Amino acid sequence: MNCDDVRILLHGHLDGELGVLLDLEIEQHLEECPNCAREFATLRAMRTRLRDETFRFEAPPELKEKIRRALPQAPPRANGYASRRSGFVPRAIQFAVPLAVGAMLALFIAPRALRPNENDVLAREVVASHVRSMMGSHLMDVASTDQHTVKPWFNGKLDFSPHVTDFAKQGFPLVGGRLDYVDERPVAALVYQHGKHVINVFMWPSAGTATSAERIQPEQGYNVEQLMVAGMNCWVVSDLNQTELKAFTELIRAHG
Amino acid sequence: MPDSSKDADFDRIFLPHMDAAYNLARWLVRDDHDAQDVVQDAYLRALRFAGGFRGGDPRAWILAIVRNTAFTWLKRNRGSNSPAEFDESLHHGDIADAGLEADAVRSADATMIRDALNELSEEFREVIVMRDIEGLSYKEIANAADLPIGTVMSRLARARGRLAKSIKERITREST
Repeated sequence: MNCDDVRILLHGHLDGELGVLLDLEIEQHLEECPNCAREFATLRAMRTRLRDETFRFEAPPELKEKIRRALPQAPPRANGYASRRSGFVPRAIQFAVPLAVGAMLALFIAPRALRPNENDVLAREVVASHVRSMMGSHLMDVASTDQHTVKPWFNGKLDFSPHVTDFAKQGFPLVGGRLDYVDERPVAALVYQHGKHVINVFMWPSAGTATSAERIQPEQGYNVEQLMVAGMNCWVVSDLNQTELKAFTELIRAHG
Repeated sequence: MPDSSKDADFDRIFLPHMDAAYNLARWLVRDDHDAQDVVQDAYLRALRFAGGFRGGDPRAWILAIVRNTAFTWLKRNRGSNSPAEFDESLHHGDIADAGLEADAVRSADATMIRDALNELSEEFREVIVMRDIEGLSYKEIANAADLPIGTVMSRLARARGRLAKSIKERITREST
């Protein structure tokens, strides 16, 4: 084996990637060849230095916290196939099945059904907004648990006045609000908390009349509820489990 | 798919590798804030594509996503070359050419080594970070960095050669 062959193999040797036979050959060469031996010593010294902890960046705690909060908690427990405490692989299948069924329906139903359902589009939008609000530093423009502070804050920023009620007594304290943009218009986003979970309520006026809360298919593991309250289209998004989110939605309806 | 063995969920499998993810992102984009953005984005993507994870090493899997996210970010924000345009043959030099002695490495300033590593092209930097700092095997590097396994060793050899040269130059500059 000559030095040119060895020169590259030195790296595999250093990294323990060559296998016994080649390792032996290399070592034999290193005993006979001072140049290659010197090179190997340098390589080894470099590796030792780089392994030192000073060269490894540790994720800042706030990043870990942000990501932990943004990832959905355990999937909804209330119904059928989603009820197992399932891992992410089955969770992916949970989405795949409705998707596949949806795709098949789309093929057979009248052409206008091929247009994506408006609610599906909105659900995706509000979930994306929710995720962004959790990840960035932009969860709230106005941080206050006082509904009498949050509500006036929206004055002049929106062409409507959102319903703002604190549900602290019921276990869902209001923590703030912000301006957001959904459905091609500025909307009010109210932020509530329940334990460690954050709930975003997106609200904008709408001519729709339906009043029953509609549960939208979970998006990326988040639960989404939609309801009409006194002329307002309300979308509720959280990683909170479905039952509790439903309870929260009922509060909003009752106080609308 | 039975999930008894897989009921460990996403959080438990991938969150422990956040340090590795951040370390790689931080070395690639060279900025704390940008690295945090890259890691967040990568974790969301990972969550979306978790169905594509077929067991194996979750660290290499998440690092592959971090790496792609970082390169996309670099291309968009700093107009850097995509990996496909990277021409390895333009980067010659091995340890012997560098003339760097082991003793010099041992006594070199940590800042000097860090600067030298930061100066390498991203394609060289990533293999050194994956192998020497993060301790990935060649196979894992091949998966994470999207390289043929046969290329990993030669890429590493060139990268380390460049690094040695850069360290040597810094030592020389400082001593004059």
